[in-house]
Amino acid sequence: MPLDVRRQKGHWQGRFSAMASPCEILLEVDHEAEARTLCEAAKAEALRIEAKFSRYRDDNILHALNNGAGQPVTVDEETADLLDFAHRCHEISGGRFDITSGVLRRIWKFDGSDRVPSRKQAKALLPLVGWPKVTWDRPRITVPVGMEIDLGGLGKEYAVDKAATLLAERTTASMLVNFGGDLRAVGRRKDGRNWQVGVELPGQADTAGLQLELGLGALATSGDARRFLLRGGVRYPHILNPRTGWPVMRAPRSVTVLGDTCTEAGLLATLAMLHGDGAEAFLEEQGVQNWVMR
Amino acid sequence: MAVTSRKGRGNGAGGKGTVRAAIMGACGLLGLAGSRAEATEVRSALLGYTEPNRVSAIEAIVDGNHDFSDGKILNFRLVLDALTGASANGATPASYTQTFTRPSGNGSYQTAPGETPLDDTFKDTRGALSVGLGLPLNRMTNLNFGLYGSGEHDYSSLGGNLTLTRDLHQRNTTVALHGAYFHDTIFPEGGRPDPFTPMEPEGLPKAKLSGDGTKEILDLGLGVTQVLNRKMIVYLNYTYSNVTGYQTDPYKIFSVVDPVTGDPRATDPYLYESRPDARDKHILFGKMSWHLERDIIQLSYRYFMDDWGVHSNTVDLTYRWNLSNRTFLKPHLRYYNQSATDFYRRYLVDGQALPENVSADYRLGDMHTVTYGLTYGRKLDSGNELTLRLEYYAQMGDGYPPDAIGNLKDFDLFPTVDAFIMQVGFNFSLPE
Repeated sequence: MPLDVRRQKGHWQGRFSAMASPCEILLEVDHEAEARTLCEAAKAEALRIEAKFSRYRDDNILHALNNGAGQPVTVDEETADLLDFAHRCHEISGGRFDITSGVLRRIWKFDGSDRVPSRKQAKALLPLVGWPKVTWDRPRITVPVGMEIDLGGLGKEYAVDKAATLLAERTTASMLVNFGGDLRAVGRRKDGRNWQVGVELPGQADTAGLQLELGLGALATSGDARRFLLRGGVRYPHILNPRTGWPVMRAPRSVTVLGDTCTEAGLLATLAMLHGDGAEAFLEEQGVQNWVMR
Repeated sequence: MAVTSRKGRGNGAGGKGTVRAAIMGACGLLGLAGSRAEATEVRSALLGYTEPNRVSAIEAIVDGNHDFSDGKILNFRLVLDALTGASANGATPASYTQTFTRPSGNGSYQTAPGETPLDDTFKDTRGALSVGLGLPLNRMTNLNFGLYGSGEHDYSSLGGNLTLTRDLHQRNTTVALHGAYFHDTIFPEGGRPDPFTPMEPEGLPKAKLSGDGTKEILDLGLGVTQVLNRKMIVYLNYTYSNVTGYQTDPYKIFSVVDPVTGDPRATDPYLYESRPDARDKHILFGKMSWHLERDIIQLSYRYFMDDWGVHSNTVDLTYRWNLSNRTFLKPHLRYYNQSATDFYRRYLVDGQALPENVSADYRLGDMHTVTYGLTYGRKLDSGNELTLRLEYYAQMGDGYPPDAIGNLKDFDLFPTVDAFIMQVGFNFSLPE
């Protein structure tokens, strides 16, 4: 989808598509040319990050390090920063957040069916899951054969923050960056009002989603109510515990968190989901504004 | 299906959860600064201090920081205090009533037999303001610079400082280089007495040094903060400090006593004190924070030595006992000991040759102190925090040295000083 820029009441709106999501930039600038240039820059940044870290491509750094045949691969600064970050998040979450857990998707296909794999199948995959099995010695990473790194759990939120940062370096105008419902607002609006945002709760076509106001900060949502398995009246949500290879039963349908950065909000939302039953208690302890759908 | 919207309370500092704080720190690894982080936090406190029968002080402190969205941080601190009461002038007790001239030269005060002479003209208000700006130079390096100024009716200080910090090893290590410079000016009431000249009776002029006293202070420091694991953080710091200029206390005297009776000699019994005009200090400081499942223990040790002959040790221990997510109790224990400066003399004996420097200021003598304290803190519904601190402090030295002369054997030459401290604090965030 090419970039579409149009005038709205009091601001400019740019729309494009990236990372398999509708993306939107709202800007409080005066002229269309300026709005267009800024939106182009945001779009280019989103596409750059998508191309670099998508696991559906075979020409990027992610593919290179996942196919290193057990040999060390040297990565660039940005990738190294993301790996440092993922390493810290693994530590902070006591191993709940793990960028090697994507392997489990080989047996878990959350398509609404009743095809729940056996405990044995899950157990058989566990030797291929676990960040501590990866040797990360910046700037070199060694991924054991059969294991896989997936930055999908960070990518979209990271892209939102990067695009917002990039635009903020070029303009002091108030803006909202929204990539598929993960969003960030920078700079106060001239009239002091907040941006009105609709956060679509994935898979909830029957509800209007959340209508929220955002002045400064970021919102991110984890969870997708369309992705689950159902067997014997038991619902298996798509959120997987990397330590057991099994879904986190009784995880909320979705969690939305308000944070300072989109990456922070996204991680807190993901960690809340990983706490299952304890999602609300976890969010209570973190002191963040949150919306939990059960 | 239902959506529940709520704001969590937070189990950590400033209403922030510990996981959230750690994730925000980790976001720094990506060079992502939060735009909502534009916030102002203010800590305010009112402190009352009293040494029964001696000094009373009341102090107001406002201390805050404003975090800009681009990573810059502005700090400010304002302290106002008012002090009244009496302070030991350095002279020894005597077997008769002693009369001392007030620093202005107009007026005098008397001390009863056997009592420690206290100058009761102590009255001052002081204001101090410091402002600092922290600038991120790059992803891992920060520069902080600040200015400091303080004033009271007989003293002023102006200074500046610079700190460079660098994060290493995935931010598990922080190294800081610190430098500070201060220029102090002292303009005492009644002028600066010429050291070793006698305290003249009321109405007679004393011998004075010309002009104001000035002093230059240069501090250089190196600090390392190391995260050992998820529960332990260690901080180590070394500071070298060089002070040159006028360091004598213009209000302090010492007694010259009769070699037999121990009472002040008949002529010129009290001389103004004298201290060296250069001092080199070395300070080593180590602190460890240990996060238990629920509580936090902090232990620190400080070693101090200087070329005036002072060696001191401080051990400080606090235990933050989190009663709930919102309330805590924090007991505090502190022990301090110090050896006297080379030129500390409780008194001189008539006929003895005058040393190069002499001071009878009890703060420069051999002593040890203990502090016992308790703080109660409570987070309010608004997320702001209220604290109440109570402390008792005692300073002890050798009141009856075996070599005391004559009547001095019967007097307490180093009375214990007790102090009580009460502080009410309120920490809050300003709305955006």
